Amino acid sequence: MLSVPTTCPFCACGCGFFLLGKEGDLVGVAPGESHPVAAGKLCARGWNAHEAPLWGKRVLQPMVRRDGALKAESWTAALDYVASRMRDLIGAGKPVGVLGSARATNEENYLAGRLARAGLQTNSIDFSHHAPCRPLMAGVEDVTGEPFHSTRLTDIETSESIVLVEGDLARTHPRAAASVLKALGKGARLIVIGCARTQMARLASCFVETLPGSEGDAINGLLAAVLRTQEQEGRQAAIPGAGYDALRRDLEAASASDEMRGAAGWIAAAEQAVFLIGPSGGRAERLRSDAASMATLAAISRRPGRPGGGLLLLLGRSNVRGACEMGAAPDRLPGYERIDNAEALQRMQQLWGKPVPADRGLDAQSMLESVSGLIVLADDPAAVLPMGQRARAALERMDFLVVLDAYVTPAVNAAHAVLPIASLAETRGTFTNMEGRLQRVRAATVPPGEARDGWKVLAGLCARFDARCEWSSATDVLREIGEAAPRYSKAVPQVPDDGWGSSLVEEAEWASLALRASPKEALTSPERPYVLALDGASDWGSDPLVAFSPTLSREYQSERKLFPNGLVEMNGADADALGVRSGWKVKLSSAQGGAVVPIRLRKDLQRGVLLAPYGFRDWVAGVLGEDGVAAVNVERA
Amino acid sequence: MQPHVLTIRKRDVTRWLARLLETREVIAPTLGPCGEIVFSEVRAAEQVVWDFENPLPPPKQFLLPQTDPIVRIQVNGHGAQVEPIHDGRQRVLFNVRPCDVKGIAFLTRMHEMEPADASYLRRAENLTVISLACNTPCQLGFCVCSDSGPFLNSGHDIQLTDLGQKYLAEIGSAKGEGSVADAASLFDPATEDEVAQRKKLEAEAKERFGEETCHFASAMRRVSTRRVDDALWERMSDWCLECGACNFICPTCYCFSVKDRGGDGTWTRCRTWDSCQYAAFTLEASGHNPRAQHGERVKRRFFHKVSAQYYVRDGMTGCVGCGRCVKVCLGTTDMPAVVAAIRKGAWHGQ
Repeated sequence: MLSVPTTCPFCACGCGFFLLGKEGDLVGVAPGESHPVAAGKLCARGWNAHEAPLWGKRVLQPMVRRDGALKAESWTAALDYVASRMRDLIGAGKPVGVLGSARATNEENYLAGRLARAGLQTNSIDFSHHAPCRPLMAGVEDVTGEPFHSTRLTDIETSESIVLVEGDLARTHPRAAASVLKALGKGARLIVIGCARTQMARLASCFVETLPGSEGDAINGLLAAVLRTQEQEGRQAAIPGAGYDALRRDLEAASASDEMRGAAGWIAAAEQAVFLIGPSGGRAERLRSDAASMATLAAISRRPGRPGGGLLLLLGRSNVRGACEMGAAPDRLPGYERIDNAEALQRMQQLWGKPVPADRGLDAQSMLESVSGLIVLADDPAAVLPMGQRARAALERMDFLVVLDAYVTPAVNAAHAVLPIASLAETRGTFTNMEGRLQRVRAATVPPGEARDGWKVLAGLCARFDARCEWSSATDVLREIGEAAPRYSKAVPQVPDDGWGSSLVEEAEWASLALRASPKEALTSPERPYVLALDGASDWGSDPLVAFSPTLSREYQSERKLFPNGLVEMNGADADALGVRSGWKVKLSSAQGGAVVPIRLRKDLQRGVLLAPYGFRDWVAGVLGEDGVAAVNVERA
Repeated sequence: MQPHVLTIRKRDVTRWLARLLETREVIAPTLGPCGEIVFSEVRAAEQVVWDFENPLPPPKQFLLPQTDPIVRIQVNGHGAQVEPIHDGRQRVLFNVRPCDVKGIAFLTRMHEMEPADASYLRRAENLTVISLACNTPCQLGFCVCSDSGPFLNSGHDIQLTDLGQKYLAEIGSAKGEGSVADAASLFDPATEDEVAQRKKLEAEAKERFGEETCHFASAMRRVSTRRVDDALWERMSDWCLECGACNFICPTCYCFSVKDRGGDGTWTRCRTWDSCQYAAFTLEASGHNPRAQHGERVKRRFFHKVSAQYYVRDGMTGCVGCGRCVKVCLGTTDMPAVVAAIRKGAWHGQ
């Protein structure tokens, strides 16, 4: 039996396991005790990671749409066709763009960026999973000057206080939840901010119940209370030039309950505290300010000179951080360097031997709304982006859509050209997990049909737009990443070829602090006394790695069959007050619009809150508008 | 059969293994990638590791693979042709620890029950298990609590014990006899002193267990007489992250699902591992789920593992004390922790 150490392709915790192969087929997964993140433990997704490549509906040959149908084509002809159609669009002055992917390797994302910038001469390069994470990174960067920090999952385990802005950590990031459980077992205090008594909330020493969209008020309350405790105890870490006065002004309206004041005492007294926040539905500006408040809380609670602790962004998909740091962003170059950083831009131009445009490109949603030609790498934007089915319509109206994927997704079915690439069980490359761990992805079998490594296909496209690409392996591409992304210059040569192949991306110092707290905003009104929000910011059920896994799809997709007309969840007492039962329909109306959807009762949800699982967002899109949260009136339909 | 006790000099073991390799597939602990010890097929006797802590994945995968093709289905103009897929290879599992021998015995007993599982039994019949007794118990093991180690006194094909210069080989079955027969010249009858030395080693090993203990008897009394509050199961379930690792890694868990691979007229029906801890494991087509609450799923698992009802049916607790669940549990609801909670009627003091 073949046993190949590799990195889990699901969430951004970045666990490692052995992918098992026999006679050319994948047969299973085995845990690895020596892996620095997993340490022999895996979640349900990890344990079933072999299933999607094995059972999934795969793209087997290059295809080009002719007379309305996708027809098989040779690799050379398909790549030539893609290049010539894209060149025609560019020649006609039409906008084009590229989407990288959080489920693609660093090497693939780097080449997607190079294809866009050096090849197509556009900065319109992004990836769908960026949308919910970008505001978090921006908020942290606003405070600390750096979007990513080096808190490790193991730091959670050694912390005495943990503050969690809860999505549903036990489901979104089971490995991180495991660290929280470990810390709790050692007596740590867990402070959870959220709208439902989730698994983590039930285990919390302090559960701060908030309305969706009002998490910032709770963070600010905690922040004000920690500041006050530090002042009273005379142990405020005076960070010069950090803006304490401005912070105090921001916090004048913040209020803290007795419980929160108690929690602030734990945070202030902790030798080590960690602060966890992940993407959620909601306006980008609010998420950004919430993340800034959390970063501020982490900054003022940090004990100088003590190891570990700090802020950890719970990024959604496996390679969100890697895709960002490879430059799959309209305003960032490899290394997550700003596009307006002239020095960085010049370095890329030298490395690529081509001019690179200096203006900011379009983000994923804007690309879908406005470009004529789009190259999509391993992604179905409609399944990921908040705009949901509107993305489906946008893909269908494209003049020219190219999709590179291992799996037959709805995006593949809408494409004008389809380029089959190897799944993550069949290719080599690296991911960067949310801690900044650069880790190898390895092949345990060969790709089916004519599918090729994604990096090879992208290199073939690059070659058709810029002559200089001389990579003979994924490792060659990684070597170039080491040259392109300053923060990867040390990590890349340190990734071992054997073993787990893991090394840490260089830590960023907190450049300068600009402490801040988010403003308070009122959501509900007497006319609209309920809050409707999206639950979570991603939908595993429509991810091909889950949808094509018989075991995992059973878990994630069964509710979809039971609720074909959408779904919102509400507390039983609210349902009683409205005179409705589980499965009955309610009429929702907000300032934006209305919808009629069935309800499901959820006993852990607070009164006055309705949650729509992210996968059901299309059914309430008219009510939520562009925001992920809205005040609504609810009536029995 | 009468116990038959032999010895083999350590330097002759590779010759014995070489003889076994001529006629059978030999699975043994080997040094795998990342420096981890794993059960895998060996091509040369030198690959077999002798000084090791029990590999994390148990040898269960050679009897019940995670993905196991069992039937090939072909639909053509004449209807459907269904052809069972046989795995008739002669296998030796070598250097398996006593807990894993007990695990296999548990699985075999279960699969022999009517309706007997031909696919499993074919593999079991062609399998000879040569185990290595544990002179030093592993750190997290508690096999002594479930009568599954550190030495076996019955149920083995061959049990080896490290006596320093030699291995004592206790032959316990006809299959065991068969696997020494081809290399009879390498074996000598054991002396009384050597047998006594083995007894002494067993007694010493029993004194050297680590911190994990598992008081199955009192837990069984409470579980079987419904003296565990549902609220306690609910509390415990908050410390379980529903990963399914306890099932997959457990030498005695065998729940499965059936899935078809293929299309265009040809399918392979596969048996795949499944977990009773997954919410949709018991989900019915109507949407009703008899174990929708997480606590009910945790309760179900441990009821099967430690209740008297199942003890009578299965002949032993559904736990061989290998301690693997302690290592792989993503939460903290491993066997010793839950058994302790059942016994005390409290989890984390509540």
